[in-house]
Amino acid sequence: MLTRRQWLKVLKGAQMMLFYLVVITLVFVIIGPVFFVVSLSFLSAREAYSYPLPLLPALTVRFQLTHGERGYLLSVYDRVEREYIPVLDTDDLEKMANYMESRLGTSATVQDVEAQIARLQQEDPVYFTKRANLLHNYKTFFQITRDAVPSLIRSLEICALTILISLSIGGMAGYAFARYQFAGRDLLKFSALFVRMFPGIAIALPMVIILAKMGFYDRPIGLSLVYAVGNIALTVWITASIFMGIPESLEEAAEVFGATRLQAFLRITLPLALPGLAAAAMYAFLGAWNETVAALILTQFNPTFSVVVYQSLVGATGQINLAAAGGIVMAIPTVTFTYFIRRYIRQMWGGVTL
Amino acid sequence: MSKQRKSSLGKRITPYVLVIPVFIYYLIFWVQPVVQQVVRSFIDPATGHLSLESYRLVFTDPDFIPALRNTAIIVGISVTLEFFAALFLALIIKRNFRGASIFLFLAMLPMALPPVAVGAMWKTGLTTNGWLNSLLYYVGLLPEGEKIYWLAGSTWKMLALIIVIDAWQVIPSVMIILLAGLQNIPKELEEAGYVFGGNYFTVLRKITLPLLRPTIQTAVVLRLIAAIQIWLIVIVLVGFSRLPVLVERIVYYHEEVPRLNISPQMAAGYTMIVTVIVSTAALIYLRLSGAFARREGG
Repeated sequence: MLTRRQWLKVLKGAQMMLFYLVVITLVFVIIGPVFFVVSLSFLSAREAYSYPLPLLPALTVRFQLTHGERGYLLSVYDRVEREYIPVLDTDDLEKMANYMESRLGTSATVQDVEAQIARLQQEDPVYFTKRANLLHNYKTFFQITRDAVPSLIRSLEICALTILISLSIGGMAGYAFARYQFAGRDLLKFSALFVRMFPGIAIALPMVIILAKMGFYDRPIGLSLVYAVGNIALTVWITASIFMGIPESLEEAAEVFGATRLQAFLRITLPLALPGLAAAAMYAFLGAWNETVAALILTQFNPTFSVVVYQSLVGATGQINLAAAGGIVMAIPTVTFTYFIRRYIRQMWGGVTL
Repeated sequence: MSKQRKSSLGKRITPYVLVIPVFIYYLIFWVQPVVQQVVRSFIDPATGHLSLESYRLVFTDPDFIPALRNTAIIVGISVTLEFFAALFLALIIKRNFRGASIFLFLAMLPMALPPVAVGAMWKTGLTTNGWLNSLLYYVGLLPEGEKIYWLAGSTWKMLALIIVIDAWQVIPSVMIILLAGLQNIPKELEEAGYVFGGNYFTVLRKITLPLLRPTIQTAVVLRLIAAIQIWLIVIVLVGFSRLPVLVERIVYYHEEVPRLNISPQMAAGYTMIVTVIVSTAALIYLRLSGAFARREGG
């Protein structure tokens, strides 16, 4: 028989095991899909179309070269089948080099191919290894997707403008919120929250005509104006909490020494608030960068990067490695910024709004 | 004396100078488009007269009931499932441990990913030759030569898929919200519950959950609002019209078939429906959270 104390020990141990089991499972479930899509984006075209897909990117590619019926027969080592698979039989060396580059994900020149063919006189078949060009899909995505590069620049422009608008307008209101009592304070808070939760599509659709009248339709500034609507509320909230954390007495002290209120703000408060303001800017960036539905509606010939990736996903059924690369380019800045502002996000989720 | 009065007047005016840009901005870029949208939805574009044509078109659209039903199912099941799963996980984890901060960042990862990246992830995963089938093959769950056709099949299967993907993206974040809420509850309160003879479940029901209520409210309503507007993952995975949901219909009429006679009215009508549903949810939430009544919240 176990004593009560031993029972408690067993119970506690079981609890610990459950705890670690849950944590580890969660980590795998979260990381798994991310890992696979990243890995897929590194696969060569040939591997991306094979089944089952290799679940790890290859760092090197192994080739076998011999004489073929039409010239030279190139085989490539298949990591799933674990044998050399013949892929190309030709006497056109340029074609072979191109094939190695576009389909097999290595960088190869005609000279490289010639050098290996020269070795054929001593040994047959010739085996050689080349470094896999991991970023091949990314390069191809930007080369073959129409608009990919201009849309990326456009998206960055939209993000910058959105940050500028929401930080200037929202930051001022946030300061007022932190420092003053005024009539309409509750109205501001209520409307900011409500606007934040309001569906973006219901603003985007009628904005087509309004922006067209202003001459801003299908232009980055037009989208920024729309994105700032939802973002301002967030900026007010973040900046208000930042300014509340900076004691007003600091500004008063500066005023005692002869600074005007504006000078006190610029010299004392603003530098202290900078890290928080950077977080607010990153938040605005995330919103503007990720948004797709308003971008789809409010652009025609000048899509954003998210729209370009979205369209490559909807259109293509075969080019999954390229779609994966596009999706990952989209995700890099968001994951980076989320890392920097993780504390704010956690507070925000617990507090006001997503 | 006069200087002091001036400065106190300045002090009274300053906050209004600071907040007026926000109100003007909202007036131009929020009130104006929303009012125009509402007005336009009641006007027949052909005649310019007052008419309920947009609404009649939407309500008689054969896809309207399925769209409403699919959205309702996704919202209902997703939010419930995500909430309970997240609560369950939060209750198990509920403590600080080594590596907690890395774990919390990882848990934020799915929500941090752009919707199109999530679309790319699951599109590459769920195609017949995708990474999910490959993975199942490698771990031996899928015999050689057999494949699972994830994206083919009934509406229910599609719905289940969308719900699972949404759960993948959302559960970790909701868990973090609840975790933060749980860690804010003073330990003494729960301990008192045990001292007075409560077991785990009575303490959970009578003490922990009531204290967690504001956090739960926020999490659930925000999830609700987001789930109502689900569209991208649906289009990316199953294409237009196979699994109609409300916002997908708007995108369909505005982007896919913009030249149909009825398209502008359809898009407007569906937009109004989404607007009314989301606004109602938002107002109920603001009411519950006391934003109507109280001063600053922090």
